Amino acid sequence: MLLAVAAAPLAVACTTEPPTPPPPDPLSALAAQARADAALAKTLTTVPGAAEIATARETHAKLLQAEVDRERPPLSSTAPPAPTTPPTPPDPLAALKTALDESVRDASAIVATLPSYRAGLVGSVAAGCASLREVLV
Amino acid sequence: MSVDSVQTALGTEHAALWTYGMVSAFLGNQAAAVAEGANAHRARRDTTERWLRDKGATPNPPAAAYLPPAPVSDGPSALAALVAVEQDTCAAWRGVLERTDESALRTSALDALTAAAVRATRWRKAAGTNPASITMPGVASG
Repeated sequence: MLLAVAAAPLAVACTTEPPTPPPPDPLSALAAQARADAALAKTLTTVPGAAEIATARETHAKLLQAEVDRERPPLSSTAPPAPTTPPTPPDPLAALKTALDESVRDASAIVATLPSYRAGLVGSVAAGCASLREVLV
Repeated sequence: MSVDSVQTALGTEHAALWTYGMVSAFLGNQAAAVAEGANAHRARRDTTERWLRDKGATPNPPAAAYLPPAPVSDGPSALAALVAVEQDTCAAWRGVLERTDESALRTSALDALTAAAVRATRWRKAAGTNPASITMPGVASG
């Protein structure tokens, strides 16, 4: 009996799956989205305000990536891959508006779920995207 | 902790409401946008006072008057006062976001931060400020 009790935890330990990797950091997706918006805005040289949007979204990407790397330092020092230059969409202004609307929505959607020290950062990014959206009105 | 930050946010809502009333004489050509901003701050003030009472706190009353960062004497200085008070509002609501884990309060603070950032951008556009947008609303350097 004693033996059985002692062996039970051991059996559990032996059959436990190797630890699954932690889920991806939600801020990582927001940083990638910011890099993609900046890349899109850079191609739209004909749209007034696009340069302002590119600069602001690059700042967002930098701040978000810095927080991702602070919490989970990257194993290598390789920078995240730069997004490939997207093809110019048929309606550049509409494409940029849609991208910013999605960025407001995606950042806003996770604010309530984040630890408080991250909620301010992501809240400002969401509000910053809403502010950028006004530039294109 | 979140009660203190909400009291601070309520203070900026009182200041914003007072400022919208004070500038209206100088912005007759923007009367609709001024009225819209004032209504939004009035509604936010009311919900904020209600939240505080629900928590057993006494909402701080408004001051008799507020001092804009620069004297207001014409259209451009009136726009500058609106931009300043909206940016103060952004900072206060971002402060709430960082001091609460309550999901409903987070959502409400984010709404207030985003709406103030949008109004600040519109006033900056009206004033011809370049860039009109605010990269990180609620951050002092933003």
